[in-house]
Amino acid sequence: MIASLLSSRRWALLPALLATTGALAQAPVDPIKLGKPDPLDFKAESFKGDSAAAAVVLCDYGVTRFRLNGTSFQFETDRVTRVKILKKAGYDAATVLVPLYHRNNSEERLSGLRGTTYNMVAGQLQKTKLDISKTFVEDRTANLRVRKFTLPDVREGAVIEYAYTVTSDFLVNLQDWTFQGPYPVRWSEYRAAIPEYFDYKMLMQGYVPLAVSTREEGGGQYTVHTAGGFAEGGGSFRGGSGREAASNDVLTGRVTNYRWAMKDVPVMRDEPYMTTTDDYVARIDFELAGTHMPGQAYQAVLDTWEKINTDLLDDNDFGQQFGRGGFLKEQVQGLAAKYPDPTQRAAAVRQIILAAVRYNGTNRYATDGNLRKAYDAHSGSSADVNLLLIAALRQAGLTAHPVLLSTRAHGRVNQSFPLLTKFNYVVALVPLADGKDLLVDATDPDLPCGTLPERCLSQTGRLIMPQASASRWVDLSPSQRHVHFQQVQLALDAQGGLAGKVHEEYAGYAGANARGELAKLGEKKYLAEIGRQHTAWAVPQAAVAKHETTEAPFALDYSFTQPADDNATAGTLYLSPLREFGSSQNPFRHEDRQYPVDFGAPQEEMLLVALTLPDGYELAETPKNAIIDLPDGGGRYLFNVATIGSTVNFTSRLALRKPVYSAAEYTHLREFYRLMLEKQAEKLVIKKKA
Amino acid sequence: MKAKNLLALLFAVPLSGAPRFAPVGAPEPKYSVATIPAALREGAHAVLRADDEVVTVKSAGRLVHTVHKVITVLDAGGDAFGRTTVGYDALNAIGYLRGAVYDADGRLLHQLRASEIRDQGVGDAGGSLMTDVRVRYADLRQPQVPYTVEFDYEVVSDNTLFYPTWQPQDEEGLAVQSATLRVSTPAALPLRYQERQWPAGAPLQHTRAGSQEQYAWALADRPALDEEDNAPPLADTTPGVALAPGAFEVQGHAGSASTWQSFGQWNYELNAGRAVLPPATIAKVAELIKDAPDPRTRVARLYNLLQGSTRYISVQLGLGGWQTFPASAVATSGYGDCKALSNYTMALLATAGVPAYVALIGAGSDHADLRPDFPSNQFNHAIVCVPLASAGRPDTLWLECTSQTTALGYMGSFTGNRHALLLTPKGGQVVATPRYRCADNRRERRIDLYLDAAGAATATARTLRTGQEQDTYAQLLHELGPTEQKQYVAEHLRLSTFTISRFGLAAAPGAGTPGVVETLGLALPGYAPPSGKRVFVSPNLLSRLPALPAQVGTRQTALWVPRASLQADTVQLHFPAGFQPETLPAPVQMATAYGNYSAQYQALPDGTVRYVRRLEMPRLHLPAASYAGYVDFRRKISAADRAQVVLLKTDV
Repeated sequence: MIASLLSSRRWALLPALLATTGALAQAPVDPIKLGKPDPLDFKAESFKGDSAAAAVVLCDYGVTRFRLNGTSFQFETDRVTRVKILKKAGYDAATVLVPLYHRNNSEERLSGLRGTTYNMVAGQLQKTKLDISKTFVEDRTANLRVRKFTLPDVREGAVIEYAYTVTSDFLVNLQDWTFQGPYPVRWSEYRAAIPEYFDYKMLMQGYVPLAVSTREEGGGQYTVHTAGGFAEGGGSFRGGSGREAASNDVLTGRVTNYRWAMKDVPVMRDEPYMTTTDDYVARIDFELAGTHMPGQAYQAVLDTWEKINTDLLDDNDFGQQFGRGGFLKEQVQGLAAKYPDPTQRAAAVRQIILAAVRYNGTNRYATDGNLRKAYDAHSGSSADVNLLLIAALRQAGLTAHPVLLSTRAHGRVNQSFPLLTKFNYVVALVPLADGKDLLVDATDPDLPCGTLPERCLSQTGRLIMPQASASRWVDLSPSQRHVHFQQVQLALDAQGGLAGKVHEEYAGYAGANARGELAKLGEKKYLAEIGRQHTAWAVPQAAVAKHETTEAPFALDYSFTQPADDNATAGTLYLSPLREFGSSQNPFRHEDRQYPVDFGAPQEEMLLVALTLPDGYELAETPKNAIIDLPDGGGRYLFNVATIGSTVNFTSRLALRKPVYSAAEYTHLREFYRLMLEKQAEKLVIKKKA
Repeated sequence: MKAKNLLALLFAVPLSGAPRFAPVGAPEPKYSVATIPAALREGAHAVLRADDEVVTVKSAGRLVHTVHKVITVLDAGGDAFGRTTVGYDALNAIGYLRGAVYDADGRLLHQLRASEIRDQGVGDAGGSLMTDVRVRYADLRQPQVPYTVEFDYEVVSDNTLFYPTWQPQDEEGLAVQSATLRVSTPAALPLRYQERQWPAGAPLQHTRAGSQEQYAWALADRPALDEEDNAPPLADTTPGVALAPGAFEVQGHAGSASTWQSFGQWNYELNAGRAVLPPATIAKVAELIKDAPDPRTRVARLYNLLQGSTRYISVQLGLGGWQTFPASAVATSGYGDCKALSNYTMALLATAGVPAYVALIGAGSDHADLRPDFPSNQFNHAIVCVPLASAGRPDTLWLECTSQTTALGYMGSFTGNRHALLLTPKGGQVVATPRYRCADNRRERRIDLYLDAAGAATATARTLRTGQEQDTYAQLLHELGPTEQKQYVAEHLRLSTFTISRFGLAAAPGAGTPGVVETLGLALPGYAPPSGKRVFVSPNLLSRLPALPAQVGTRQTALWVPRASLQADTVQLHFPAGFQPETLPAPVQMATAYGNYSAQYQALPDGTVRYVRRLEMPRLHLPAASYAGYVDFRRKISAADRAQVVLLKTDV
């Protein structure tokens, strides 16, 4: 069901898209020539259709080719970008930050930076060059440098252009090309000339079609430069030992020239209930699947899922950690005897980990130190916490395996790309006797055992097994919903004043949120919030009844009084009894939607109101019962009224059964909420009995 | 919005430290939670067990600030205190940063390791392209509360323009068990200080030992406070001591902050000689003003030139937080920070024969006004002041030079309603920026609301906002595209379900206080569904002011409403044939110390109903006892704003 939402529009493996053309042909003409802006770019009529834009990217062009640096391959990407600044609000487009990674001896390097701003002043084209001495490098973190520059003399109507080359040693990560951004793009083109020695997998995503997608076979030459010096033993390229002279060799090989382009790419808009825009933006990703060096056999780099499984188990920061969990033995001693039931025992182990290690908010799938260190510091990443959990579960005699996943904010995992870097989180899976799996996470004390935090609800995770062949995908569909239950007794007096008693429960994810909120605010402020949401009420009594145990719903009881409305009419009373207990605004505020609505988990809201009318009064008219259904059983709203004596009983129940609704379902969802809110706001006319 | 930092702000917060006890693996328990008095746990998320800060003035150009802080986190609400961040830059070095954490019984749980301290650049935070400010931070949050963290750090500062300000109770929910500040300074460099909200009975201890002067302040047993609605900021209500230099020296530039005059003099001289423009710019200015003898017209034209050809880009390195780029650099690059753009503007005006001054100011809608009685660095921004006169009376123009869109002379919420320090050749001089009153900050709205027989409605609304009421909308208008503008408005309408059928934002014509006009077309399905033969309509579609929550406990702090405003609404209610008004709400008229409110309904001969609402609220600074009256005023407004017209179906 969920998989069908990931329509083929969103993901496509590129080879299917590529038209293979003949092996000859001239290289296509570059879409942009630095230093030669089009005179039309200074004419207002060229931008008539862009009234909504502050700036327009006229052309964004990247070319990647490979070269040898000594005996190591590198790739170089030239980038040329030209932007038209339409409004002052678009000035930010003139400031560019280029992140450059470095790790050990490998790095990304920026060179050849140049830029120019063109202004048309009284019919004359004025050029102002970027002064390289006014560009900066910031060492943001240990592995990240940011090269920063801003174009000079930027005004409304200016055309700016800049170009630079990034040289990278990180062959595994041929950089993504993102066609879509904060400004509309007229033309975005990326070319890559990839020698036969490198086998990249390519993945296209997004909602914008390609205007160009071609591949041409050609040839290329690469010069291998071997430095002179004393070669040591058998490690040398040529074997033997002794003094060697520097030398140059030429490699000639087949090169595939790829070309992709998009035309008139719209702006990426952030919408509510999304995972991350990264999941939807028009982009092409590359991952190195393998290398095929001259004279050598094909070497797989991009793994199979099975190989990833095996490697992870061998990894010092992952699988090898489980064998070092002996220090946990003492902690979990006796649990096996006390809790023969695996579910209960898992919950008890989880409590021990929750109490011992604090999740520090960093998401990782592997530890970057060792588990003992995190245990001693009482603090760690999601990997530290949950790998400790797995080790402890095993010490307690349970079977437990890691499940890798990517959090919602990190973006979805594509099952056809066996890539570790796409994951950033790990949880535990405990197989149960009935064939079901118990997914356990120990980062959030407000959730019960067996419920993953909402950040983990990203559809699928990868189970890592002792036998690689047994590894598989695991459904991360939430085991819990957002549940909100309210039971209200309302007494109306003949003047229109109200007295109410409310019992409220939050369960599932709503329960966890309420517990978190209570912990953050403290009980006094938490209860004061009720008054903030209902400013017409006086709340003389309020108490949180239950919140300690995460297994039971979070419960709350309070009473309130509401004085009569100033303009009540004698003899007739008007009241919307449900309105204060439902939401006052439709959460879907925009008419249309580009991307799926991703709630993470299904939702249920139940509201029971028993309204006692003043003596001698009755409803002038009973509201109509209603059932509103979403198409395909996606959800239902039920509204029901029953009068017993002087008490009118209302039942209002919302059920949204799916965690994710497609963009096509958006209109229905919006209308569904509208009808529900209208029903909840309905006004009763209460009159004196004749 | 635009954070035109003079680096200053980052260090306005005390950020240095003092090591009284280096945390070593002491076996005996420390800071047991049981020793916290019950009164301090009441309403507290965390308790400051000890805050011992020492400021040592080494010379006019160097100061060392050491901090030893011990905080017990009582519950999840106090979790943020389990972490600490220490900033540094080219002129402020961190000597050391150490930490330890203890359990509820005071047993050492963990000692912070060097490898656990993160270090990173603050990047483009605050809109700066480049800054040398970096942070180190440490996270000692624990899985179980309560726990106690202990942090020790030292900052060695070569920027003595800034002395630390000490205010231990700087957050709500934080009780203070013990806090001390000690200052040691050579007698030749006498300390300047200001005690703020300082309690009686805890006098300063001032001693002299040889050539050193010692000052010591101590606070103890301060229960936690709640931040209340419509209240002054905590910084204005809890005790603290502000420190400032007399003589100081930054990178060879010596000065004195003893008076505003001398503080201004130092700034003026630091930037003197940097207002020289290239010949091409001078020629451009001459061309622009040749037919404009009137100084005001000249200012308008040059401000227009500035706004059309420059933009705000901040580069803050070393003394660059205080010393401007030369005007010639702005002329070639077309960008600069607040100082550079202000200096450039001053140079343009000087070329045109209009004298003007750069002025330092504490900018931001929630920035405290200048404390004129304590000359010290209280600034984070620079603007330009042009002292003009009209008909013999002063008619000063103030220019925000970092905005490409702000109206000439407009300061708004960012820099209006406060004091600034003019930098003149004779030194500094404190002057007031424009004050915006009810009549300046207006929101005038006219709505036609059309109802159909099924209960759906459509509406057209035209809203003029002026002065501080338009600040957000002016930003929307100038800084976002139409699509994002509409999205913002859709997200802020307090309506159940609606569709925006028409939308536009435009600058209101005319000089004076700037304004923005918003036109809105709305479709409102199910706005007023009939209940039997009656229809209930709220004519106040867009201007309902919510009530305040009922006060829990006794109000502690003063009532503050920082902005004066005037709202005027007219709604014409049109309904279909076959309906007639059964009940119109009674008129409401209130004249109070908190403001004036009126609402009137009138059935017009053309069959429509007209609703007229007016709310005038002055800027309020009233004692805590007035709060109940204000809540009542707001409750009555809210009730009146929700009043409904009842229509009766007549054709059934």
